[in-house]
Formats: sequence, C-alpha cells, structure tokens
Amino acid sequence: MTVPPGAGPTITFTGALVAVVIAVSICSVLWWMLHPPKSQVQKLAAETARELKRMVGSIMVVFSPEINSSHMMALAVKLARGERSELLAVYVIEVPLTLPPDAEMPDEERAALDALGTAETIANANNVTLHTETVKVRSTKEAVLAIAKREKADLIILGSYLEGKYSGARLGGTIQDIAAEAKCDVLIGVEGKHGTLLGEEAS
Amino acid sequence: MASTSKPQLRRSVTPWGSFSWGYSDVGADIFVGLGLVLAAAAGASNVAFLFAGIVYVCIGLAYTELAATYPVAGGGQYFVMRGLGDVFGFIAGWAVLLDFTIDITLFAWTCVDYSSQLLPVLTGSIHPWVHFLVTLTLIVGLIGLNVIGVRESTAFNGIVSALDVVSETCILCFGFLFAFRPHLLVHTMQMSWPSPYQLMLGTSLAIISFVGLESISQAAQETQRPASVIPRTSIALILTILIFALAYSNLALGMQPWHPITDAAGHPVQFWQIFPNNGDNQGKAVALLASQVPYFGAIAAFYVPILGAVLLLISSNSGVFGSSRIAYAMSSSNLLPSIFQRVHAKFRTPAISIVTFGGIAILELLFAAFPSLHPGAMTIYARFFRNETGLDFLADLYAFGAATSYSFVFLALIALRLKDPLSPRKFKIPFNLPVRVGGEDAEFPIVAVIGFVGIVSILVFTLFTHPIGRIAGPTWLVLGILAYFVYRRHRGLPMFGSQKHEWRKAQVEILRNAGELELMDEYVANVKASDERRAKAAT
Repeated sequence: MTVPPGAGPTITFTGALVAVVIAVSICSVLWWMLHPPKSQVQKLAAETARELKRMVGSIMVVFSPEINSSHMMALAVKLARGERSELLAVYVIEVPLTLPPDAEMPDEERAALDALGTAETIANANNVTLHTETVKVRSTKEAVLAIAKREKADLIILGSYLEGKYSGARLGGTIQDIAAEAKCDVLIGVEGKHGTLLGEEAS
Repeated sequence: MASTSKPQLRRSVTPWGSFSWGYSDVGADIFVGLGLVLAAAAGASNVAFLFAGIVYVCIGLAYTELAATYPVAGGGQYFVMRGLGDVFGFIAGWAVLLDFTIDITLFAWTCVDYSSQLLPVLTGSIHPWVHFLVTLTLIVGLIGLNVIGVRESTAFNGIVSALDVVSETCILCFGFLFAFRPHLLVHTMQMSWPSPYQLMLGTSLAIISFVGLESISQAAQETQRPASVIPRTSIALILTILIFALAYSNLALGMQPWHPITDAAGHPVQFWQIFPNNGDNQGKAVALLASQVPYFGAIAAFYVPILGAVLLLISSNSGVFGSSRIAYAMSSSNLLPSIFQRVHAKFRTPAISIVTFGGIAILELLFAAFPSLHPGAMTIYARFFRNETGLDFLADLYAFGAATSYSFVFLALIALRLKDPLSPRKFKIPFNLPVRVGGEDAEFPIVAVIGFVGIVSILVFTLFTHPIGRIAGPTWLVLGILAYFVYRRHRGLPMFGSQKHEWRKAQVEILRNAGELELMDEYVANVKASDERRAKAAT
C-alpha cells in the first residue's frame, strides 16, 4: 500500500487518543518521580525550616551603652532579607535614678545616633527596611521586654557586654536577665575574644 | 585530633539529576535503535520493541531493587560479585566494559550521522573519510577531556534531558495527532511482516534501545537518599523509554509523511521503507521521522538533529567515564589489576583506565569503518561477516554485551534474595514465592526468572543472527577471563572462588554512607533478631 501524494494531515480518533495518552503518561510519570516520600530526617529538617520562619517573623536588635550589638546587626539584616522579616533596632539608654527620667544625656544620645546610623546603613546596603527607636528608661531589661511585647517580636538579638562594662555575670547581668525572662527566642552573639574568655572561665 | 575517615563521594545528585544521568545514556539509544530495528524487522518493528521492552522492564525492575538495596558505585558488576561470587562479578563487569567501549564509538558515530542531516559533508556513504575522521576526533577529544578532568555538569545533563523529553513528547504527540493512520499500521504489519530470522535480528537490535539503565545504579553512591529516590527515577526512566520506543515504532509504521517520500524510481513509499539497506538513514532515524511530522516537523527538522547529536555525544562521553568508573570499581574489588585505580598525578583522573578503554573504542571504530575507507576489505567482510560493517557491527557487540551482563544480573538478584534476605528492600519486584532458606524467610522472584528467560533468548538471537557478535563477543569474554585467571594467580587470590567478604559489616556501612539511617537500623535489627533465633535454635 503506498501513500497518495499530497494527502494533507488529518486527525484520527485513535491518533488523537494515543497523543493524549502519551502526553498524560509522560507528565504523570515525571511528576510522580519528582515527588518521592520524605524521610524522617527530611521531615525534621522541613519542620525546623518552618519553625525558623515563625522564629524570625519579627526581629528586634538591642543596643545600649553596655551592649555592643553592631556585629550582630549584619547577621540580623541577612536573616531579615532571607526570611522577609520585620526588623527593628532599639537603642536603650538607661537613666540613673540620680537623674530625672527625661534628663539630657548627650554622650549616650550621640552613641545611639552612631549605632542606629550604622544599623541603617547595613540595612540599606542589603535592601532591608529597618525601623529604629531610641528609648530612655530606668531599666534596660524592663524596656526591652516591654518593646518586644509591644512589637510582638519573635526574636531578640543581643550582642555582648562592652569592654569595661563587665557587670559581674558572664554575659552581663542585663543580657542574662533578658534571656531568662523574654517570652520569645533570644540570640546572643558573643564576639570571639569574649568567647575565649568565657571558654577559659568555664574550663 | 587527626581524622582517619576516608573522603566520601558527595551526595549531590537530585531525583532529576539521577533521572537525567540515566536518560542521557538510555534516552540516546532510541536515536540509534529505531532505524536499525525498522531496517531489520520491517512491519514487525513494534513487536520487536514490545518483546525487548518486556525484557527491559524486567531488567529495569531488577536493577531498581538491587540499586535501592545496595546503593554503591559499581552497579551490575557489584551485584553479581556479591550474589554469585568474584569470577561471575568479573564476567558481568567485563561484559559491561565491552558495552561501554562500544557505547563510546557507536554514539560518536551516530552523533556524526545526526549532524549530517544539517551538514551533508558528514554523510558517511558519500564522504567516508570525513565521517571517520570526525568520529575519531570526537572520541579522541572525549578521551582527552576526561583525562584532564573536564566533564559536562549534571546541570547540563539535566537541561539536555529535559529538552529531549519535551521534544520527543511533542514529536510523538504531533505525529500521532496529525500523521498517524491506524489502517496503515495494520496494513504494514500484515504486508511487511518479516521472516523469523529478521524478527529475531530486529528483536536483538531492539534491546540496544534500552541499554544504559545501570547508569542510575552507578551513580547511586552520589544520589541523595538513594534507596528512596532510585526506585522512582528508575521506574520513571523505564516507563518513559518504553513509551517512547513503542510509540516511535508504531508511529513509524503507521505514519503518513508530511512530504511524500519516493524511491529511486519515483514511486511513493512508506516512511519505514527508507531504512532497509541505507546506513545513512538508519543512523538518523529520529531526525528523519521528526522532519515528517506535520507542522511541528518544520521546526523539528532544524533542532532535532542538533539535540540528537548533543544527547548522543553526552552518551558517548558517558561511555568514556563509565568504563573508567567500572574499571576502578572492579580494580578496587581485586577483579582487575590495581593499575586501573591509579590516578594521574596532575589531573587526579583515572587516566590509564580512560586511555585503555578509549583506545579499545578506537580499535572498534577502525574495524567498523575499515570497509568504507578501503573498499578492497569489503570482500573479506562479505565472506566472513555477511557484510556487517559500520553501525551493524557496533550494534552487534552492544547487544551481546548488554544481554550477557543483564543475564548475570537476573541470576544475582535471585541469589541475593536467597542469600541475603535480611537486607531491607525499599523496593521489591512484585510476584514472589515465599521460601525458607538457611532458617530465614525469603522470597523467590518470579519476574527475575521471566526476565532471565527473555534476556537469554535475546542473547541466543544475537548469537544466531549476528555473525560478528557471535565471534567477537565471546572472544572478548574468553580473553578477559584468561587475563583474570592470570591476574588472580599472580596476586595469590582464589581463581574460581571468592575472597573473604564481610558483607554484614559492608551493608551497614553502605546504608550509613547512603544516609539511609532508618534502613540501617532496620538491617541491624534484622541481623540481631536472626542471630538470636539461631542461638536459640542451637541451644
């Protein structure tokens, strides 16, 4: 049997059916292949990843004359960028009881401008929106916990105590108190030299 | 503290990576096999593909179970060595090595054939020297690139495979939608049914469209969660290739070409009739078919030869590194001399393996191309090899090597089911008979027996219908076995028996390294329970 020349393309029911069966079969086989069941380890990893999303939905970075968080700011910005988190940088100035609550504290206020300016620069460089706030309070711990509650923060990030401000406790009393009493996760970044010191003390 | 652990291959191959690793090898086969089978089996080409396809499904299932249970580099050779012993492991590995060397030449050859669709100067029958030299250059180039350690990335493999799957699906969908005539298929099958000899020849050639599945198991050691992923990628590959092979052969037989095709006398002929006695067309069958698909063929005529050539070149390259990988694995198991494990001081590649087996591929090319380069040699080939040259010669040996190694893999599957019932099998071939062996419950795989009978019959077809295959194939095996005995004697290792292996310890390590911790726990628990049962029975 030869083919009549010039016979144009025509669609047969069988041909169309086979074409559909081929397309559906190939697509479904490949879809099935690409969705293997997850192992226990993968399930745990996925759960942890989901947990991280919840954990870093709103991040608050705390600065104060006693707490150096500059090195943690870059980390907070990277986290916020990756997870599209809300980011707030708070500078807390503790006003001594010997002064009125709204007393002028020019040195501390100047330091706050520097710290929050640096934080904003890091955030801008990474295309992350940063809210900043400077507060004067009697107790840093109380203020940080109150702001975290107000802002519904999921994570508080703190640096370590500054040189010469060692308050007796290993991480500084304020930092330890915040970590102990916060209702959300707290990440404390201890710079290397302090880490070494702590390591030596521990051993 | 200094670490004493050995560096492990990084598990970076994803499910798609694992699929494309196999697809870049098996997927290229239809580009070669279609024309050869249409030329040999004519109106029964679809039946030849169906028979070979059924055997291939059994092979695929066997490989899937074994690779998921023993996710190590080495593939078939490792399974056979573990199931049947060292000497059979060597034979299976040596047959796979033959296939890989043929793989290099066959796919480089057809890569040039596909390129000739756009560059007529590469047509083998018109410019045999150009065809030969370009093929030789490709092989030498691939050897060189592998020696200096340059390989196509898994990502590139993945992209080419994805493009090819989409492209072939489009060709088939458009082809069946606009060009398929069911009555023409029935008519062709009735009027052009081949002789039994031709059908056997076609079936033995059809199996080459399904060779290369072991690439997935060879990459098992680098695949993420191999016990879970490999069964899926293997089954997906089996089904994809089977759908393509059956669809292509039926379409080719029942296709009304978009542009009328005529013979030398100007009479219109059917599409499949352009393949018998035309080596040039046989080498680029998919490109020719794609160009005859209505509407889509206008685009396909340009890109399918290129896509086919790229896929075939990747497949040829997989022969180069596959042979060195197998040789490395065999050498690690003391089946081949340690020289094949030696890596180049500068490039850190198994250069000796690559050059040795690449060199064998070049010899095969010389043998295949010699009559076309020196017509005087044709009388010798006509007298001793029934004019088998070029593609026929390469396809012969390819079918022989595949059928031999696959036969042993079926036996290894049966042996391992009985000898090692404690290893957890995340994928198990269905249809099993419960048996009790050595105090343990085991399952005897019926599908493995069916597959073994099928592949042995294809091996018999190959030996019966391929004059070169029945001489060169067994010669390769016999020479290899002799060399193996000499090597084992020289090393003071058992010649017929096996070295002592700590399989239990090895299995725990395999599963731990594979990241299959749940399976490792299950295996340890099975072993403990078995030991307790035995201790109880002894008291």
